[in-house]
Amino acid sequence: MITFWIDRGRSAVRILSLGFLLLAPPGTQAALSVITTTANLQTLVEAVGGDRVSVVSLVPAGSNAEEYAPRPQDLDRIRGASMVVRVGLDYDLWFDRLLRQSGKPSLLRGGPGHVDASNAIVLLEVKGGGLSGGAHAHGAGNPHYWLDPVNADVITGNIVEALARLDSLNAKYYEQRRIDFLARLEQRIHVWQLKLAPLTGKPLLTYHNNWPYFARRFRLNFIGTIEPRPGIAPSPAALAGLIRRMREEQVSVIVRHPQEPSRDVDFLARKVGARVVILAASVGDLPQAQDYFSLFETNVAALTAAFFGVAR
Amino acid sequence: MNEFIELLALPFLASLMLIGIHCQFGLQVLKRNVVFVDLALAQCAALGATLAFMQGHMPQSAGAYAWSLGFAWSAALILSLIRYAPSRIPPEALVGVLYVASTAAAILLIEKAPQGAEHLKQILIGSVLTVSVDELIRVVPLYVGIGFILWLAAHRGWLERTGFAGWVADLGFYAAFGLVVTSSVAMAGVLLVFSFLIIPALIGLLWARTFGNQLLVGWGVGGLAAGTGLWASYVLDTSTGATMVCAFALTLCIALVARVIAEASKNFQMVSRVLGNFAVAVLLASSVWLVAQPRADQPLLDATEAAWPSVRDAYFNVQEKGIYTEAENYVKRYSAEMARLTTLEARSRWQGSAIDDETIRKISSFQQSYNEMIKGERFVMHEIRSRARERLRWTAFFSAVVLCAVMLALTLFWRGKFLSSRRSTVPIRSE
Repeated sequence: MITFWIDRGRSAVRILSLGFLLLAPPGTQAALSVITTTANLQTLVEAVGGDRVSVVSLVPAGSNAEEYAPRPQDLDRIRGASMVVRVGLDYDLWFDRLLRQSGKPSLLRGGPGHVDASNAIVLLEVKGGGLSGGAHAHGAGNPHYWLDPVNADVITGNIVEALARLDSLNAKYYEQRRIDFLARLEQRIHVWQLKLAPLTGKPLLTYHNNWPYFARRFRLNFIGTIEPRPGIAPSPAALAGLIRRMREEQVSVIVRHPQEPSRDVDFLARKVGARVVILAASVGDLPQAQDYFSLFETNVAALTAAFFGVAR
Repeated sequence: MNEFIELLALPFLASLMLIGIHCQFGLQVLKRNVVFVDLALAQCAALGATLAFMQGHMPQSAGAYAWSLGFAWSAALILSLIRYAPSRIPPEALVGVLYVASTAAAILLIEKAPQGAEHLKQILIGSVLTVSVDELIRVVPLYVGIGFILWLAAHRGWLERTGFAGWVADLGFYAAFGLVVTSSVAMAGVLLVFSFLIIPALIGLLWARTFGNQLLVGWGVGGLAAGTGLWASYVLDTSTGATMVCAFALTLCIALVARVIAEASKNFQMVSRVLGNFAVAVLLASSVWLVAQPRADQPLLDATEAAWPSVRDAYFNVQEKGIYTEAENYVKRYSAEMARLTTLEARSRWQGSAIDDETIRKISSFQQSYNEMIKGERFVMHEIRSRARERLRWTAFFSAVVLCAVMLALTLFWRGKFLSSRRSTVPIRSE
């Protein structure tokens, strides 16, 4: 039954694309269909692809990408795509199964349409198996690398390389858009760094280990995580230790992601008299963070407001 | 010690209060055979909260509360109608279906409004460790009021009525329970509230006959288990909710075994014989497994070694022991090196001059090498242990066989003695 509908969907896509080819005025062509796993990658592909690509993110904005449960239509979306972009580093492991099921060899790892955006990123917290009790379970390094805006250089590099390979006619267009995007980003990074400069070294606490790349770029001091391991609530002894450390190091701000449990965070904030600031770790986590730029604008504004009480 | 009290006094108080009200409900729930009713009600309340969020109500606002209460009470209405279902189907099954259906519905709604996931969780994932004074003060009048009405209902036999009056009583019961569960699950979480509901009530049923005594036993033992669980979670450094649930389960085991012993010594003899035979069988099976596959996982031996590492000294020779200790020390050294590099990198994010990408890459590759080296040393440790086990497997096997034979002989001897003593006493009495 399902295959029947999928087949129907496929033929519909084919007819549709045929229609597009017939209807399209000479000189233009149908947009290259790209699937990304997260909204972050979607905005980056859109930034370099412009109107020559149509991008869909499988994980809806604001959902947890690591716990995503694929839906039947995802298979259809992948089958209709010529390129897939993923976060990699065990962050979107569920994607492998979907790709295998889709039966398109070009989209599998190593294929021309497969982009692992983490390729050539300078990884942080590479521990290989998390033996030293690191705060993130990912063996291959911390996967939240898009939170260092400088890494957009490498990510968009990976994307444009694949776009140029699949759509060589527009290679120049993609490369030019990438250069413009990165130039704009560089200016903003400079502004954000200036805004966050007064926070350098000020101790912060976070619930989940989302922020190492962000911290490195903006010189922030995250003294630890509230959860001892991803998804595990802290024990009483761990909480007592955190309270002690927070008092010793005078932590005045705790960072929370909108989907992380508020109980433990609020409890610590109450005990120590710290403020809680909610930051978006991904595009779409907060209503204000709708693209790659506003993701950082939102977080920078929220952090400075938490420390200096400036109106947002 | 001070820290211990500062952190755990409030959770303990909250637990006592929750046990106070839930034990009462638990006794009724067990009588009606609708054990999972709390899960169903809590899940329906969460579904209501999710819908409220989608309508634009902020969590913890009056609107959100009204929605979740409305859903919990609709569920109460459904539950009260279960009494009219054909008696061929067990009520428990219907409660289960209500639970899974409302859970699934909530998941579907969340997919439409991903940001709502947090609010769904807020209702279902409480944590007794982080309970606040405000939360406690807010629920005290509610719990006292409902507790009193429930006690009155049980005392006057309202809940045993039949016909329309019985349905009204049932509806009131489930509605009150919905009111309690919505707040208690948000405070203590689904797992712990379930334990508070069922386990003290079960222990009460085991050890007392009248409703009042059952309640007293449940409260007393429940309070003890809650205290022990909190203390264990602090000492063992484990998450509080899960530790407390385990403490409750363990308490139930003890109460059950004690009851079996108290009920009849005959049962006890049978139970102890079965347990003894089981232990002998496990010992024999694992020694056979050791002979057959000395290099495979040996659960019994591995667990013993994990608990008392000195067991290894018993079967390692001097050389093996030396190599093993050396590898163990290397693991410690490499782990310390890895931790040092991690700290170095983390500090460099904000302190001193920033580390450039090349150095970060170097640190990463060092850490990966250390990781590989640790794996290597672990392999050496495993290999040494496997070889020692291979060498000594027959000795272990024969000692296990001898031990079992001795135990068997002892059992037979005692049994024979018991029988012959009975035989010899019979004629003496008849004389």
